[in-house]
Amino acid sequence: MVRIIRDQLNLDPTGRPAKSTNSVIEKLYRESIRLSQVQDIAGCRVVVADVSAQQRLIISLRDVFPTTTVIDRRADPSYGYRAVHVIARIVGKSIEIQIRTQLQHLWADLSEKLSDVVDPSIKYGGGESKIRETLMILSAQVAEGEALEKALTRRRRKHVTKQYKQETQKFREELAQWKTQFIAGFNQAISSLESRKGQKQ
Amino acid sequence: MIFLIQYDRPKGRIVTIKAFENSARLDAENSRLETELDLNRRGITHEVVLLEAASEDALRLTHQRYFEDLKDLGQIAKSATSREE
Repeated sequence: MVRIIRDQLNLDPTGRPAKSTNSVIEKLYRESIRLSQVQDIAGCRVVVADVSAQQRLIISLRDVFPTTTVIDRRADPSYGYRAVHVIARIVGKSIEIQIRTQLQHLWADLSEKLSDVVDPSIKYGGGESKIRETLMILSAQVAEGEALEKALTRRRRKHVTKQYKQETQKFREELAQWKTQFIAGFNQAISSLESRKGQKQ
Repeated sequence: MIFLIQYDRPKGRIVTIKAFENSARLDAENSRLETELDLNRRGITHEVVLLEAASEDALRLTHQRYFEDLKDLGQIAKSATSREE
């Protein structure tokens, strides 16, 4: 599958032939399911620039793999986690393809890193309320920034009026402002979360 | 390339990383199993995972969690938002 995505879609995915044994055991306990019901035992991850590239990739994957289910966690985040997972059926097996934008990936990395070094339950909505709250705020900010990016990408008309130009400029300014605020907020969050390392293992 | 990573979650650090050619998939799988059994015998709960990527750089992009410390994420945030529209 990694080869198909690499060759046909010209992308650089990282494949995970199988989940780690500990991850499978944890998932079976957490979700009270049988091994045959675990959908993401094998899979791969692709990180793309933005939501437009993410959308294009979903369409391409549906063309390449005829039997797919799309789980859109952008519209329905899981404890703040936003991404798109495409489950493709290949030779009778389910393979999970995670598609994340750079910003969604950044958030997921923060959540996973905090689960590693602070409290393993953070990734699944547990842990200290202050940390959960910080992650939810950052997730909402990423969604806001991506909505602005998407709105700006749509404004690509060749012949434009003065009003259209002014509106586009306004979107650009809003996005620039969002970036400054997001980086400041993100760094502030990291500084305060660093002190919680090793709190609960 | 196939990468076998042993990761210490509480410390947030890679313990070992070993690269295999794609043709040595079976060796990589056996090595993973041996590592897991060895850690299990010694009562160590490190994460052991096999990942397949074009290069270590490609792996670092999709699985930066294994390579970066919490404080490094601030720099990554800066570069993730520095693209021109």
